[in-house]
Amino acid sequence: MKRLATLLLALALPCTAAATNYTVRPALSQLNFQGIYQGAKFSGVFKDWSATISYDPANLANSKFDVVVTMASASTGDHDQDSALPGESFFDVAKFPTAHFVTTDFHRQGNLVIADGNLTMRGVTRPVSLGVVFRAQSATSATLDIAGHVRRLDFGVGSGDYSDTSVIGPTVRITAHVQLASK
Amino acid sequence: MILRSNDRQWGAVAKFFHWTIAVAIIGNGTFALLVDLARSPMQKINWIALHKSIGLTVLALVLLRILWRKLDRRPREEAGSRWQRWAARAVHATLYGLVVALPLSGWWFNSVAGKPLQWFKLFNLPALATKNEALSHWAHGVHEYLYWFLLLVLAAHVGAALKHHLQHNDDVLRRMLPFARLRNGSTSPGERP
Repeated sequence: MKRLATLLLALALPCTAAATNYTVRPALSQLNFQGIYQGAKFSGVFKDWSATISYDPANLANSKFDVVVTMASASTGDHDQDSALPGESFFDVAKFPTAHFVTTDFHRQGNLVIADGNLTMRGVTRPVSLGVVFRAQSATSATLDIAGHVRRLDFGVGSGDYSDTSVIGPTVRITAHVQLASK
Repeated sequence: MILRSNDRQWGAVAKFFHWTIAVAIIGNGTFALLVDLARSPMQKINWIALHKSIGLTVLALVLLRILWRKLDRRPREEAGSRWQRWAARAVHATLYGLVVALPLSGWWFNSVAGKPLQWFKLFNLPALATKNEALSHWAHGVHEYLYWFLLLVLAAHVGAALKHHLQHNDDVLRRMLPFARLRNGSTSPGERP
């Protein structure tokens, strides 16, 4: 009887909770950030991060992103910035080695899907919304393009002297291109 | 106060350029050499940003000054031996060259270092060259040694001006000083006696 119930549940599940579980193909995926420093745009990349993605455009309620970013892997290619970012005034990677984003809800806004979630960075958790563009490529692969903004001072990134937003801009744009393979 | 230069003395515009650029470039050079006295990395960032803004201002002023010099006349050269007149011209030409080259070399250094260039937080200027961190150490050297060279040539310039003033008792220094009267109680053409 128990076995029958498990079997029925297994058969029923794909019909109800239909979001596909994906793995990220790291070599084909990128997580970037863009900020303003002294009136000029600069961009950087997080080289080390992982994500658990369940997504179905037809079943947003059961979709979920869970992303963990190794903050020490941030790189802008500028020597001064790369030596400052891991420090106490910015990411403080010694105390807070990772940032964590997990979705709480998805909703549609025109053609765009918005992923609402909580971002925990530097020990602070704040709601962050990201625009999501999902493209199915085949039965087993898809891409996700994601963009959003965070206000760095909400998380204490660039605290103290560095909170001067006339030198370091207040908002940082986060973008990601993710290549997905279904599990 | 006359705006244009005449046969006997420099006009107010030439004096303004001469002294503003002199104070700005020496002050800015000294400031840059003391930048490590900043109390925090952010203060150093702001000081360097100020140094760049002042340097760009010097560049704009010296270009305007050269343009004005083309339109304005110049006082007569004081009597002197051939080599003295030649030396005076060489020192002046070198100083003009250095006052242009110093900000330009800073701009180039900033470009190869891949740093933004902002004028008093108001607008940004483009890079003169592509980023090349291997070159940036060398570019810093060029920028700094041009300043030491400027100080050397400046010593000759100031020394010569003082020699004219104190030994020859002529108007070479007075005709460039703001508010100074020329010797011999003379007046310049166009001025009331």
